[in-house]
Amino acid sequence: MIWTIWKKEVESYFASPLAYILIGLFSLITGIMFFNLLVTYTDGVQAIPQDMAQNISFVEEVVLKLFANINFLFLIFIPLITMKLFSEEKRLETIDLFWLSPIKEWQVVIAKGLSALTLVLSMLFMTIIFPLIIWGVGIKDISLLSTSYLSVLLNACCYVSLGLFCSSITSNQIISALLSILGILFLWMITWGGHLNSNYMISEIFNYLGITSHFERILRGLLGTQDLIYYGTFIFFFGFLTVKSLGRRNW
Amino acid sequence: MSNINKILVVDNISREFPGRKAVTNVSFEVEKGSIHGFLGPNGAGKSTTMRMIAGLLPPSSGQITVLGEKVTGSNPNLKNQIGLLPENAPLILDMSVEKYLRFVAKLHGVQNLNDQVEQVMSELMILDVRKRLIGNLSKGYKQRVGLAQTLVYDAPFLILDEPTNGLDPQTVVELRDYIRRLSDRKTILFSSHILPEVEQLCDQITIIHQGRVRATGNLHEIHRKFRQGLVLKIGLRVGEHLPDLSIFGKYEVTQSHFVGKEIQFHVTFENDTDCRSEIGKYLIKSGVNLLTLQVESPELEDIFLQVTETKK
Repeated sequence: MIWTIWKKEVESYFASPLAYILIGLFSLITGIMFFNLLVTYTDGVQAIPQDMAQNISFVEEVVLKLFANINFLFLIFIPLITMKLFSEEKRLETIDLFWLSPIKEWQVVIAKGLSALTLVLSMLFMTIIFPLIIWGVGIKDISLLSTSYLSVLLNACCYVSLGLFCSSITSNQIISALLSILGILFLWMITWGGHLNSNYMISEIFNYLGITSHFERILRGLLGTQDLIYYGTFIFFFGFLTVKSLGRRNW
Repeated sequence: MSNINKILVVDNISREFPGRKAVTNVSFEVEKGSIHGFLGPNGAGKSTTMRMIAGLLPPSSGQITVLGEKVTGSNPNLKNQIGLLPENAPLILDMSVEKYLRFVAKLHGVQNLNDQVEQVMSELMILDVRKRLIGNLSKGYKQRVGLAQTLVYDAPFLILDEPTNGLDPQTVVELRDYIRRLSDRKTILFSSHILPEVEQLCDQITIIHQGRVRATGNLHEIHRKFRQGLVLKIGLRVGEHLPDLSIFGKYEVTQSHFVGKEIQFHVTFENDTDCRSEIGKYLIKSGVNLLTLQVESPELEDIFLQVTETKK
């Protein structure tokens, strides 16, 4: 069942121009970003004395910034991917096809979530050229690259589950996308709230609740259990809310 | 009739939306193997009721039973048992006809998927458009695909919400014919506001207006119940002198008017009186020039209008 819906959703993504536009645009923007980061790095290194230049880390200045920028791009790209998942089906009433069949809400949610992730993975796949270039310049660090990808992928999972929920509560795609964008922004702002607070405990709580601290830790290869718990809980929580929101038609 | 012959029992259901009552205390039953007409003007509450029966919308109060099972959105025993064609068919426009039907069949766990999809496409004459995207099809074909979607998992009970609405006459005739043939193996709840269609297809009807059931039961019984006597249409040739029509003074005469040299009028009898023989004798005896003599009983349309107007 999950496989059937996943297949239909992925086919539907790639039957419309939206998927190609998103993948193309994402590749273009990340390409420009990568190029700029490289140019800034080489210009910076050449402009200062060699002994100082050795202290400027390529990983810090190019690799980590690139993946942080990819995370930033998700703010717009993932809501555009998830916005139609339920809202469009609600508008066209095709969602009733599921509810007349023996399929359960959670199966639909998982299938739709996985289909959105498939498109995200297709977008990330296009960035595979960057690690190859990085590999080419001598940064042959598999663990660095894998944790970088893992960090953006885990963030993408969170944004998709949030996007699914936003899509399940409205039949308007635009509202769904806007809610997702606001939701992601809010997730980032929680961490900023932590920085503004002088109380250590409150600041730590804000830090834990915000996604940025977890993202940065994993990006730097410091993946801990608390991060995995955070991501797991987050994804499950919004998945659960989506199932409940879809189940409101029951009695 | 025992409940075993009832495929659907709607028991006193109501549904409120914020600020308005869509359906109020609706009760009716649908017998197994029948085509049950669900009649009502636009906005009467037909679609809301049908969605509640399909388990897609909870009633605010009351209970619905399909095949002896209480309808809830998640009753596993009712999955695969109800086929619904809503007013706007749930079509996935960017899918081809065949893929769409296969998708619906897979959702319902149909075993002999290829045969079933092939058979339904053949029955509904959509084999020639099987590879085309649904979004590019004409409205008639789209409606056929919508109907195919309800049949592909072989549900015994079909709910069709105005299935012929807005289609060209030929498609309407073909679909009606197909629905009639379907009643051999399915029970169908069929909504429409086209009254001749309901008269042609249905044995049982329920008339709903402003969210309330106004009449329900066998079509002939409803005819009998609402028949307001016989109407005799009489047309007489009028020469230089008007014939003596004083005999009609004791009856209720309506719609009298002249058409050229003919006077036409309707004589209405109450249910318990039948004065046709008296009038016949008079017409023969008086030697009037009779052009038209026709007995009419009210059409479903008259009953419908009567039911929906008098109870406003």
